[in-house]
Amino acid sequence: MRARILWEAARCLRSRGALVPARRSLSSGSPPLEELFARGGPLRAFLERHAKSEVQLQARGPELAVVAKLLSEKELELRETEHLLHDENEDLRKLAENEITLCQKEITQLKHQIILLLVPSEETDENDLILEVTAGVGGQEAMLFTSEIFEMYQQYAAFKRWHFEPLEYFPSEIGGLRHASASIGGAEAYKHMKFEGGVHRVQRVPKTERQGRIHTSTTTVAILPQPAEIHLVINPKDLRIDTKRASGAGGQHVNTTDSAVRIVHLPTGVVSECQQERSQLKNREMAMKKLRAKLYSMHLEAAASKRYNARKIQIGTKGRSEKIRTYNFPQNRVTDHRINKSLHDLVTFMQGEYLLDELVQSLKEYADYESLVEVISKKV
Amino acid sequence: MKLWGQMLWALLSGPGRKGGTRGWAFSSCPPHSPLAGLVSATELVSHWTAVFEERGIPEARESSEYIVAHVLGAKTFQSLRPALRTQPLTSQQLQCVQELSSRRLQRMPVQYILGEWDFQGLNLKMAPPVFIPRPETEELVDWVLEEEAQRPCAAGTQDGPLILEVGCGSGAIALSLLSQLPQQSQVIAVDKEEAAICLTRENAQRLQLQDRIRIVPLDVTLERWWTHLLPWGPMDLVVSNPPYVFHQDMEQLAPEICSYEDPVALDGGKEGMDVIIHILALAPQLLKGSGSVFLEVEPRHPGLVGSWLRSQPDLHLDLVAVRRDFCGRPRFLHIRRSGPQCGCPVGT
Repeated sequence: MRARILWEAARCLRSRGALVPARRSLSSGSPPLEELFARGGPLRAFLERHAKSEVQLQARGPELAVVAKLLSEKELELRETEHLLHDENEDLRKLAENEITLCQKEITQLKHQIILLLVPSEETDENDLILEVTAGVGGQEAMLFTSEIFEMYQQYAAFKRWHFEPLEYFPSEIGGLRHASASIGGAEAYKHMKFEGGVHRVQRVPKTERQGRIHTSTTTVAILPQPAEIHLVINPKDLRIDTKRASGAGGQHVNTTDSAVRIVHLPTGVVSECQQERSQLKNREMAMKKLRAKLYSMHLEAAASKRYNARKIQIGTKGRSEKIRTYNFPQNRVTDHRINKSLHDLVTFMQGEYLLDELVQSLKEYADYESLVEVISKKV
Repeated sequence: MKLWGQMLWALLSGPGRKGGTRGWAFSSCPPHSPLAGLVSATELVSHWTAVFEERGIPEARESSEYIVAHVLGAKTFQSLRPALRTQPLTSQQLQCVQELSSRRLQRMPVQYILGEWDFQGLNLKMAPPVFIPRPETEELVDWVLEEEAQRPCAAGTQDGPLILEVGCGSGAIALSLLSQLPQQSQVIAVDKEEAAICLTRENAQRLQLQDRIRIVPLDVTLERWWTHLLPWGPMDLVVSNPPYVFHQDMEQLAPEICSYEDPVALDGGKEGMDVIIHILALAPQLLKGSGSVFLEVEPRHPGLVGSWLRSQPDLHLDLVAVRRDFCGRPRFLHIRRSGPQCGCPVGT
């Protein structure tokens, strides 16, 4: 409304002022998401169809219509106000500039709201998760890198104020890491971490290399959402629990300290182990947690493999075999191949703080973009 | 690696070293380790594993891992911070590992060497000769907690259960129950050994549970022992991991057990039933009308206890459930009072 009054005022004062170059419309959304909002673009068409009730969205339909209407009103207001930038009256131009800044801010917020309403949230987004890292090709160097990656995620969890509990850790002789897993819990932990699954590649001169040659090694990261009690029911009869006390009389007759536990899920052959705690009971609980996560992600993958086949950002097994990121030390650069984004300052990145978070945000936005495209291109 | 191992071996256990001074408990230790700042935790574990294996010490790797982890401030080697695994140990740390490992060579149980162990998520002090809680017993506690959770609130009272533990040892059962039961629950823990009474008291204080536990020195095999418990009123539960090893099996126990643990906590007499029978015979005097007894026993006991109870109909006790441990052995008994509150001298 303010714009209308301004417009009226301008009409009275109008004269033949010099043309001010049109301002480029600013936005803080990520480029691909912003493209979707382009006038005449697919998202606009979708929102129009939705407004005419051609597209039915469950639950969030009415809310979406309201926000879409607000957006087009704001955009109209913006266009009208933009004319005033050409006005010769300096006060008015100033006023218009302020008005435009406000408008753009609100438009960005509305667009963000629309994206949130349209992007389907995943059943598991709020869940805790199990992180698994496994050294890939490259021998000792791959193991050294794997331990650095594991540490990076431990620090990232601290940065995000998540809970991080190592479940197993199998080191190599020279301080590297063959395999490790950890339970991570906290606000939207899976939503952030799910894009980290895949093959991470490192290019550098290994500590173990005498001739200064650059090696390429890999580590594989898996992110398994932790199922809620109701989402996965395991029949105790399907489990075989191995401990060191299995032979002999047990009870008061023996005093063993080996508290390692190994659980086999007989129908699938999935194995889970833990020797993190002194208490066998605690080890069993932790091994069970991991087993549940493994079985749950198998279940989810079966359900989701069709849905996500076309996407660049893969989650689950298919993604696990894919090279997602390169850490190039000579060039001090990390590149995510899925979104073709490079960040510099590798040391800071691997501290698992804001730089890693920045990349995670970019991936999240790109994933949102992809699922948005999927939603709006669905046949009515 | 191999070379390192040999050097270590030569330096730590070879002949021709100077006698120990400077507060060394063992004369075989060098006064100042020349390896300080050179040996990592991983290498030290390998070294002591080899030593233990050579001397026929059971659980060689586990023992050396627990000792090294403990000296570096971790509970298990697995949970040791990665950086600490490859970092060289200080001479003080090396000395400490040396001292603790030499105790292991004397077959001292790891739990006594470290002076602590974990049970049901609690860290408990361990001291010889008080019985070291076994992992099976964690399941006994789980079972009691399960049954308590299912039990409807005791009629007429809003309180948590009143529990009697017979033979509390380190306090593992009593304290883990209290830490997981509602605030109003209370335990009366009895043991006839002074060392056990002291250790339970110390552990209760460490865990800030001393206000909910009464620790009473008491021998349940003595006549009219239960009269000492009358002031606290009838119990909801009796829990016990009584000595249940058949007397003739005592000889076959490993040196860790027979040389360090109090045999009184293990030896259950001819059929391992001595203390079990004392507990059951007096349970009706102590229990509320619908009270229960939960026992850890050995696999032959479910049958023996079942037939003994049938031979004592006046006790009005039924063996209502037998549960297996995680290795599949029948290990735990749930016995419930079924009959009238016969001759209970407790005024309620």
